Amino acid sequence: MARARGGAHLPLIIVAAVALALILIGKAQSSLFDRARAHVMDWMEPALQASRVPVDSATRWVGSIGEIFAVYHENLRLKEENARLRQWHNTAIVLDDRVKRYQLLLHAVPDPALTSVVARVIGRASHPFLQTMILDAGKAGGVKPGQAVVDARGMIGRIFLTGERTSWVILLTDLNSRIPVTIAPENAQAIMAGDNSPTPAIETLSQGRQLKPGDQVVSSGDGDILPAGLPIGTIVAVGGGYRVALYADQSTTQDVQILDFKQPPETPPKPSPNDLPVTAAGLPPAAPPPAPTVNAPAQSVAPLLKPVVKPVSSPKLPATNPAPTDSGTNGDVPEDNNQ
Amino acid sequence: MDRMGNIMGGRLLASIIPVMFGIVGAFVDNVPISIMGPWIPSPLFSLMPLYYWCLVRPDLMTPAWAFLIGATEDILSGGPPGVWAASFVATYAIIDRQRDAFAGLSGLGAMLGFATAALVACGTAYIIMLIHQWSLLPLTPVLGTFAMTVLFYALAAIVLGAVHHRLVGPMRSDF
Repeated sequence: MARARGGAHLPLIIVAAVALALILIGKAQSSLFDRARAHVMDWMEPALQASRVPVDSATRWVGSIGEIFAVYHENLRLKEENARLRQWHNTAIVLDDRVKRYQLLLHAVPDPALTSVVARVIGRASHPFLQTMILDAGKAGGVKPGQAVVDARGMIGRIFLTGERTSWVILLTDLNSRIPVTIAPENAQAIMAGDNSPTPAIETLSQGRQLKPGDQVVSSGDGDILPAGLPIGTIVAVGGGYRVALYADQSTTQDVQILDFKQPPETPPKPSPNDLPVTAAGLPPAAPPPAPTVNAPAQSVAPLLKPVVKPVSSPKLPATNPAPTDSGTNGDVPEDNNQ
Repeated sequence: MDRMGNIMGGRLLASIIPVMFGIVGAFVDNVPISIMGPWIPSPLFSLMPLYYWCLVRPDLMTPAWAFLIGATEDILSGGPPGVWAASFVATYAIIDRQRDAFAGLSGLGAMLGFATAALVACGTAYIIMLIHQWSLLPLTPVLGTFAMTVLFYALAAIVLGAVHHRLVGPMRSDF
């Protein structure tokens, strides 16, 4: 027995060292493992789709057992809530219309248009250190990591890994989730952090801000990762602190939207000489510099003066005033390649 | 000659059944479908074959297999790589050192023995994650996983025992 143990100890040490090395490699190169996960999940997708139907039915059946006894009270509560929500719905329509008119009057920049992909939840997982949801849309559907996932009620999480036909969502309740949020009505900026409990915590609240139960939490849009104004939840007091009761119910939601917020960066057109501040102000543009008298410095400055010299060739731009020869100033003027 | 071939094939099959159960356990554990709701964590099914065969037939459950099962768990769970691999190897080391004490347990004692192993696995994973994340993590999800794992072991032990006595044992026997 002792010999057998001694024989097993040597590989045990080696295997333990390999395991530690794996942790370090995983920390440095997590993309290798992410690709493996994405491939495995793509491979398992048909099985998940097939197994989803009976499991969902079983889940609903199990979940409804406890609800049978509270159906009457639940019905009354829902009727009352429905009546209240209808009032809010009418108010929201009126306010939305008013906001649009104000925006029109003020020539406000409209909100960026969001494109979205509708996906179905094909799996949910709850592990000690990870809470995920798996969707049946992946790279083939234009899904990319970082995109926000919402259902009809509010935000659920963000895409963190995409396969060809599947994608993984890191839920707002997950340990690794950190979302910049705005808390209305005071517009306090904060970070909402998940900790694997049903109600994420509020961290890093801006100074001097006091939270109240019932305050609304929406995404702030800071960092251009998520669109601003996505409804997330309301503030609730839990054990002396404040947490966020999420609108979305990640345990029951079946269909979600994946929002593509990242707009392609707009390339502004190159400015023409008429776009120069001087010309735009109706003043005559700067004249070309006088012909250099000393050869050596002129050769070195000439390339820098090129952008200013070119507009002079235009018939609209008379050359009257001498141009400054400061290379720093002229260097800031972009060259017009169209001429 | 045929008999020798059958014996060798049977031996090979018997030697991979324990690790196959561990890997299947990792798959079952990580199938992202939960009928218990999102707030009740999945049990560590992959730990159960590891513990069982590490006690009963340590020659069929080597440290390398423990590492492989843990690595499978890591890949499928979506968490940081190496966490479960290292914690399973640590658990294997504890079981290996205390095999005589664990093997002598039966009934409720056997459950307590497995609970100790599960505690080592969950505790090691928690500590590694603590260092990995460099922040204090909530204990509740790990304790939930630990409790569910111990709870499900009562059923799993019956299945593993049946597999061992009907498949692995006869295949490893030369007669």
